[in-house]
Amino acid sequence: MGRFAEARHVIVADLGFGDAGKGTIVDWLAGCAAATARQARTAAVLRFNGGAQAAHTVVRADRRSHTFAQFGAGTFAGVPTLLTRHTLVEPLALAREAAALAALGVPDPLGLISVDRDALITTPLHAAVNRAREAARGGAAHGSCGIGIGETMSYALGHPDLALRAGDTESPSRLRRRLLALHDWATATIQSLRNAEPPATHDGADPPAVVAGVSPSVGCGGAGLPAAVAGVSPSVALGAGPLPDVDELIRAYRAFGRRIRLAGTGEVARLAAAGRLVFEGAQGVLLDEWRGFHPHTTWSTTTFANATDLLAEAGADAGDVCRLGVTRTYATRHGAGPFPSEDPSLAPLLPEPHNGTGRWQGGFRVGHLDLVLLRYALEVCGGADALAITHLDTAAAAGDRLRVATAWRAGGTRITRLRPGPFADLTHQRHLTDLALAATPELAAPGRPWPELLADELGVPVAVTSWGPRSGDKHPPTMDASPTREDQDRVPVS
Amino acid sequence: MGSGRWSHDAYDAAAAYRSRTGRDAFDYDAGVRASRRRQDWTAHPDLDPYRVDVRESRDSAEHPESLAVAVLFDVTGSMGYVPRRLQEKLPQLFDLLLDRGYVRHPQLLFGGIGDATCDRVPLQIGQFESDNRMDEQLGRILLEGGGGGQKTESYELAAYFMARHTSIDCWEKRGKRGYLFIIGDELNYERVYARGANAPVTGYDRGGRRGVAEVIGDRLQDDIDTRDIYAELREMYDVYYILPSGTSYAGDRQVLDHWRGLLGQNVIELDDLDAVSETIALTIGIGEGTIGLDDGLADLRQQGSTAGRSVERALATVARGGRAPARDGRTAARDGGAAARDGGAAARDGGAAARDGGAAARDGGAAARDDGAAARDDGAAARDGRTAARDGGGAAGDGRGVSRDGRGDSRDDWAVSRDDRGGDRGDRGGRVPVARRSVVRRRDTRGARWV
Repeated sequence: MGRFAEARHVIVADLGFGDAGKGTIVDWLAGCAAATARQARTAAVLRFNGGAQAAHTVVRADRRSHTFAQFGAGTFAGVPTLLTRHTLVEPLALAREAAALAALGVPDPLGLISVDRDALITTPLHAAVNRAREAARGGAAHGSCGIGIGETMSYALGHPDLALRAGDTESPSRLRRRLLALHDWATATIQSLRNAEPPATHDGADPPAVVAGVSPSVGCGGAGLPAAVAGVSPSVALGAGPLPDVDELIRAYRAFGRRIRLAGTGEVARLAAAGRLVFEGAQGVLLDEWRGFHPHTTWSTTTFANATDLLAEAGADAGDVCRLGVTRTYATRHGAGPFPSEDPSLAPLLPEPHNGTGRWQGGFRVGHLDLVLLRYALEVCGGADALAITHLDTAAAAGDRLRVATAWRAGGTRITRLRPGPFADLTHQRHLTDLALAATPELAAPGRPWPELLADELGVPVAVTSWGPRSGDKHPPTMDASPTREDQDRVPVS
Repeated sequence: MGSGRWSHDAYDAAAAYRSRTGRDAFDYDAGVRASRRRQDWTAHPDLDPYRVDVRESRDSAEHPESLAVAVLFDVTGSMGYVPRRLQEKLPQLFDLLLDRGYVRHPQLLFGGIGDATCDRVPLQIGQFESDNRMDEQLGRILLEGGGGGQKTESYELAAYFMARHTSIDCWEKRGKRGYLFIIGDELNYERVYARGANAPVTGYDRGGRRGVAEVIGDRLQDDIDTRDIYAELREMYDVYYILPSGTSYAGDRQVLDHWRGLLGQNVIELDDLDAVSETIALTIGIGEGTIGLDDGLADLRQQGSTAGRSVERALATVARGGRAPARDGRTAARDGGAAARDGGAAARDGGAAARDGGAAARDGGAAARDDGAAARDDGAAARDGRTAARDGGGAAGDGRGVSRDGRGDSRDDWAVSRDDRGGDRGDRGGRVPVARRSVVRRRDTRGARWV
């Protein structure tokens, strides 16, 4: 694995619970041709997990701002996005996001998107089941985003031959067959949920494992979320409203299939040959489906693994890849789940312009930087080659109130490291959750600049520091102020 | 129709995805229906065949070897829901042709066929397009849903238009016929009527009949025998007829026999409308020699199509008779003669094939053809698009000669009966219909006409 400056390709992952600032880092990288020794221009941003629920906010020098859900955060810089087979595509939301980007002056946003034929499609049918299930949980609701991401995953696992994928939009017959099957499944599932006795209230018992796949803590992208979905009351979702009409969906998806470039195998290799690839992760490593704090996880591999696989398949030299871990100088979490270093008194000091209190996800939580969690995150994703540290401006404004959790105390034990269990051992992950819920942090003053502290404590060099939302606020600085790459020749993604 | 936000989302998304071509829905049909009385229905101006000189398929720098593919479908009432489904499904044809590598530079034209005896809009013909604009044309086809209930529609008017009012480079420059598919469920009228009958001078009423003069604007001396117009059409196009299920006369013996009389084996019964695009793509792929029947059917299965068996039956006939696919799936033998198609045509079955009507020895990149003895290389005519080997002697045209591809067909006269084309034309011997003779316009290789 290579250091940032030498590496050709960059994988960006969040080392926390999300919201660390991946979007702004990807935007910076996309405009960052000169920032590395190779001076490779960025050929494409590749999304390698998650779906329309992602929410990556980018603010440009000209104050244009967009919270990217399915489009890559390099879009303002004119860099095309490939949604790889590890992502879930929501075509209706994608069209909406394209319209929003066009309104912000991005020329032909749909021309900047291509989608792997194997990527799963999230439909309003999944969303309807998602909302019905959430409503049936009553007080024990997970706080799902209501888009149907988890239902899409679970349906695909249960019906591998019928799952709707982007490539199906090329064939009306297959599209119809699969949508009809999906419609039948949704009808039956919702009916059975109606027949089941809904739990009256949440009595404090453990919420069930993530049946719907979307935990409370997952960021629900504002841009990708239909207003009515977010606003609908659970009982309405369960009790009323006909299911989506298949013919109408077919029309929309056929239009999607004709308009959007659908990519096959070899696409990553082709793009890699054309320039630097930036892999944009969604969510955070601590929410990983297998390595996160079960059940407060997302149904998605949030580590570097998917991206590493894609690069290996494309024949990229592993030494040519920089795995860039992103963290703030303090910890955040959106929604329920363990958070040992949480300190609500910090909230007034740490303004959060883009993360409000979600209706279902609950409030945005803040706490002190937690080295135990960061070490765990690095360990489960096989280490990182460099760090990107964000929100240094916020930290500076908060002054000496910010501390560092160097260890946890739980049950009389001092814990500095969490032991990763066997892969996919959810029992182990649940034990970690219990441990974290019981832990109290040992807090210390940082005593030195954040980048120095993090580089020392984690043993990973710092490649970029961010002192504001715009890419011009980064160090080393780039690019945002320079003309966007729209006028440069662009690698066609096809 | 669902309710709530999602349906708006679906509608908006469809509109957004279509917006590149400015097309916002299959709106022409709906708009016309909503805003006009039936007697005022008209074809969209882009599809109105009246006084159209020519629809062209041209080579360009981007598409150096264009291949014209026309799909015309019956939009009358007997077709039931079929036209709407075709309108929805045909757009994928282009992707299929390209994605499967069946054709490198297809140019597609779509059209709608009605009944000139009683429909407002008996004929609609779009343009040959090589990009998404074809979707637009499809969307502008008015699905009139008329027809007369007499088991006859004006397919022959469409055939006339395609024969006399299209100009395609694949044929004119390279001697390679285009493809024409007619999807419908009824019979042709017996004649291409030169002009209407019982029709007022302007406009027409139910019961009136319109002819070429009223629908297309040509002045013909006389009517044309429908069989003759198809023979003429087949000079330039490989013509196929598809009888889909879900129509009034699906499986009808009389209809099938009628079309076999006109087109020989090129008659396809299709029992899964969803597979119409795949079927057409497969037919072209086999015709182009880029795929064998077995590979094509495997492709169909992989697509999840259930039409495989009917397509297999239909295309097996086609493959056996007209264009048996070679074992390696790369060459196709043609009726009555042999043509090595698509660059470098491989030698069949071990090296050479002796054919009836002449022996054609082929190797690597050349095909010796019966009669014409024109050598082609790399799929393109050696004639460089200007000279044509003509009429059995290998005479080089002077740049204005009719480009013939020598596909087993050497004639000095347009009207010589062509047994190899199947059908019941033997009885007509060498008779030259007066009407045809008077109107035949030959093309030079650039597509300009001279009479």
